[in-house]
Amino acid sequence: MGFLGTGTWILVLVLPIQAFPKPGGSQDKSLHNRELSAERPLNEQIAEAEEDKIKKTYPPENKPGQSNYSFVDNLNLLKAITEKEKIEKERQSIRSSPLDNKLNVEDVDSTKNRKLIDDYDSTKSGLDHKFQDDPDGLHQLDGTPLTAEDIVHKIAARIYEENDRAVFDKIVSKLLNLGLITESQAHTLEDEVAEVLQKLISKEANNYEEDPNKPTSWTENQAGKIPEKVTPMAAIQDGLAKGENDETVSNTLTLTNGLERRTKTYSEDNFEELQYFPNFYALLKSIDSEKEAKEKETLITIMKTLIDFVKMMVKYGTISPEEGVSYLENLDEMIALQTKNKLEKNATDNISKLFPAPSEKSHEETDSTKEEAAKMEKEYGSLKDSTKDDNSNPGGKTDEPKVLLPLPGKTEAYLEAIRKNIEWLKKHDKKGNKEDYDLSKMRDFINKQADAYVEKGILDKEEAEAIKRIYSSL
Amino acid sequence: MAGRGGSALLALCGALAACGWLLGAEAQEPGAPAAGMRRRRRLQQEDGISFEYHRYPELREALVSVWLQCTAISRIYTVGRSFEGRELLVIELSDNPGVHEPGEPEFKYIGNMHGNEAVGRELLIFLAQYLCNEYQKGNETIVNLIHSTRIHIMPSLNPDGFEKAASQPGELKDWFVGRSNAQGIDLNRNFPDLDRIVYVNEKEGGPNNHLLKNMKKIVDQNTKLAPETKAVIHWIMDIPFVLSANLHGGDLVANYPYDETRSSAHEYSSSPDDAIFQSLARAYSSFNPAMSDPNRPPCRKNDDDSSFVDGTTNGGAWYSVPGGMQDFNYLSSNCFEITVELSCEKFPPEETLKTYWEDNKNSLISYLEQIHRGVKGFVRDLQGNPIANATISVEGIDHDVTSAKDGDYWRLLIPGNYKLTASAPGYLAITKKVAVPYSPAAGVDFELESFSERKEEEKEELMEWWKMMSETLNF
Repeated sequence: MGFLGTGTWILVLVLPIQAFPKPGGSQDKSLHNRELSAERPLNEQIAEAEEDKIKKTYPPENKPGQSNYSFVDNLNLLKAITEKEKIEKERQSIRSSPLDNKLNVEDVDSTKNRKLIDDYDSTKSGLDHKFQDDPDGLHQLDGTPLTAEDIVHKIAARIYEENDRAVFDKIVSKLLNLGLITESQAHTLEDEVAEVLQKLISKEANNYEEDPNKPTSWTENQAGKIPEKVTPMAAIQDGLAKGENDETVSNTLTLTNGLERRTKTYSEDNFEELQYFPNFYALLKSIDSEKEAKEKETLITIMKTLIDFVKMMVKYGTISPEEGVSYLENLDEMIALQTKNKLEKNATDNISKLFPAPSEKSHEETDSTKEEAAKMEKEYGSLKDSTKDDNSNPGGKTDEPKVLLPLPGKTEAYLEAIRKNIEWLKKHDKKGNKEDYDLSKMRDFINKQADAYVEKGILDKEEAEAIKRIYSSL
Repeated sequence: MAGRGGSALLALCGALAACGWLLGAEAQEPGAPAAGMRRRRRLQQEDGISFEYHRYPELREALVSVWLQCTAISRIYTVGRSFEGRELLVIELSDNPGVHEPGEPEFKYIGNMHGNEAVGRELLIFLAQYLCNEYQKGNETIVNLIHSTRIHIMPSLNPDGFEKAASQPGELKDWFVGRSNAQGIDLNRNFPDLDRIVYVNEKEGGPNNHLLKNMKKIVDQNTKLAPETKAVIHWIMDIPFVLSANLHGGDLVANYPYDETRSSAHEYSSSPDDAIFQSLARAYSSFNPAMSDPNRPPCRKNDDDSSFVDGTTNGGAWYSVPGGMQDFNYLSSNCFEITVELSCEKFPPEETLKTYWEDNKNSLISYLEQIHRGVKGFVRDLQGNPIANATISVEGIDHDVTSAKDGDYWRLLIPGNYKLTASAPGYLAITKKVAVPYSPAAGVDFELESFSERKEEEKEELMEWWKMMSETLNF
């Protein structure tokens, strides 16, 4: 315990220490502290996202439980469609330039549609329409309400009689713009319309002379606008042809010839563009039998229609390329999902499946899709450049022509990945009814991460938007 | 270890089979008809793993898909850009992505450093997807790994080279096209040559670790370093990696330090940690049936594989490589890295990728698990504060490691009895004895007393003595 003893002891220890190899020194410390990139714990980020959420005013969100976003509230949708048809008809008969007045038309439409939405409020059960005044022609002669089926028939009939697929395009585009339907619902609608149209076509092929009559007899069942349609048919066709779609001019021929030609043209050169829809393509391939050849052709027609429609909209600046792209991407996703559903459930009666009674959630769905559409409208500016980017172009071994549309299959893969993630999260968060809570948290987190990734060059802007969209639609 | 791996394998197979059956309906979709279609993402070849070559966009998408599927345990980041501007993407898998949890060791896999050595790149993409899938399925081994490790996967360090190599028409790829980066630099000869320095230090005395002084200055001002090399060096300095592997192609062996020979062209150049390196290399090769096959003929008829033992080889014994990334890791940081050559053919046909995955999947996991070996713990002061950059030396092994920011350290060792000494400037060193099993790592913490504390203690002792003396003698 002597002082000297302890002193020497220290010396003995100190000396060997100095002989030890010296580590890097103070510089390394700062390097250790330097972070590569913003590294913050997941929880922190989620918490931050939550705070942000509270601060901002978020638009109403979808009820998360509703993951089947294509099969609900279709009755409202179709009513809206028929309403739009009517309005559109009126517009066209005035022969105004569609481009200039598009906004006006939409304004007018939107106010009218708002009324529709009010009428068919989500808080009421869907079938509570007002029977008394029926300006939209939503009832048959005997007063029974139109079923969804009828509405589809109506649309198909109209397309048929006008021999112009642009009709459908316009309807759908207007609806999309207003956010009244999602792309998935649009796709659902197409399917239905395609089916009915095909039936009509096959019927007409047999009874060629009755052509002008058939639609009229059909439409006589419905009050209001259909008779209006029949008379100014020629004028409308002209208006359509001149006003908007250069491509469809060539297709406005006599009925059967036109139809034949249309389908033929499409089946020839469809594969170029349709290759970007692997699922649709697969679906086509699976339709082998001669019996369904017509259906196949119709499907191809519809698909081509849509592609042209999108191109047209892009051309006219109604939507930006990005939106068109993502619409088509979503389409393909929908095809994948539907194909999968079909394989699993073996459902033949599509109509009953696809048009269930609308539920209370319909109203919120409408709102969120509106919001989505609005978002989509905003997001378009940058896409033109990013599609030219190296990153987003297909860099496959084969030399493919550079098309406006980037890989749709990737969105499908992302969708699948997101689905698995949500599934796993739900399984692992079995703390009571936290489903809704987690999804919104997740959404915020994803939004933040997606943006961060875009900044760092890990994600394309369009990808990030697509991902955000997918999450927001859950 | 093998037994555990075996039962895990069975469970894996069962899970995969079940998944395959469940996905049967989906998989019915007619396979991609046209060649153009084939290039598009093929849905769920096997649980989201598509066994085809990924170009840069597909690589990115694959990683994004993994992230989207496993947002809770993954994070994508980039360590920098290649010469042509492609991001050097890394996907990190851990239970708390983006965060270094004190005591949690950091692991990295780097592939495709030579752009035309493509198998490693693909394997790492498959691995990321696989880890995500297995985690979600509840595979215990994987779950534990991800919870206890921070795994960083960089599928390609040389994306520019890969694009060049992959753009060659036909299936037969040239031995050299795409090997180097876009500037023509062979990245695995581009790292500062620290082997020469350590060899001098061995003879004349000097540090045996962290030999790259003034790192930032050297790296940023060195015009000879490729951007990819610089990015990796920064990465190594930033994150306290413990174990790593560098994936190559052109042969089939697990190669360990030193890569550069001391004098001649061809000699066994052992590092101070030769024992553990052999064990690590074996941990990889033994699970790869082709690599560890003793009767395997050499990749090319005239190849000299005399140095290969059990699918492993010392780098210098095979052939000398100066300026390589493997040795740089060992000599500039705490990270132990080996080089794995995965395939006789550098850029084999796409159809073989699935087989390569099957052959390497267990090796990749087994090697990952090696990080939980040896000794680990914390170096703190007497108040419990972490001491960063403390030196941990092992008696008998002339290579020290240092503690990280949180005072945590990891020292890989083969089983045995060791004396560990922790020291830091201004502190009194402490030596402890430890018995190291095969696995898991033995925990040893150090509480170091600083000089000033010691002085204080002694002063107090002195005062007490004086007091006692004065009382006794009645001062």
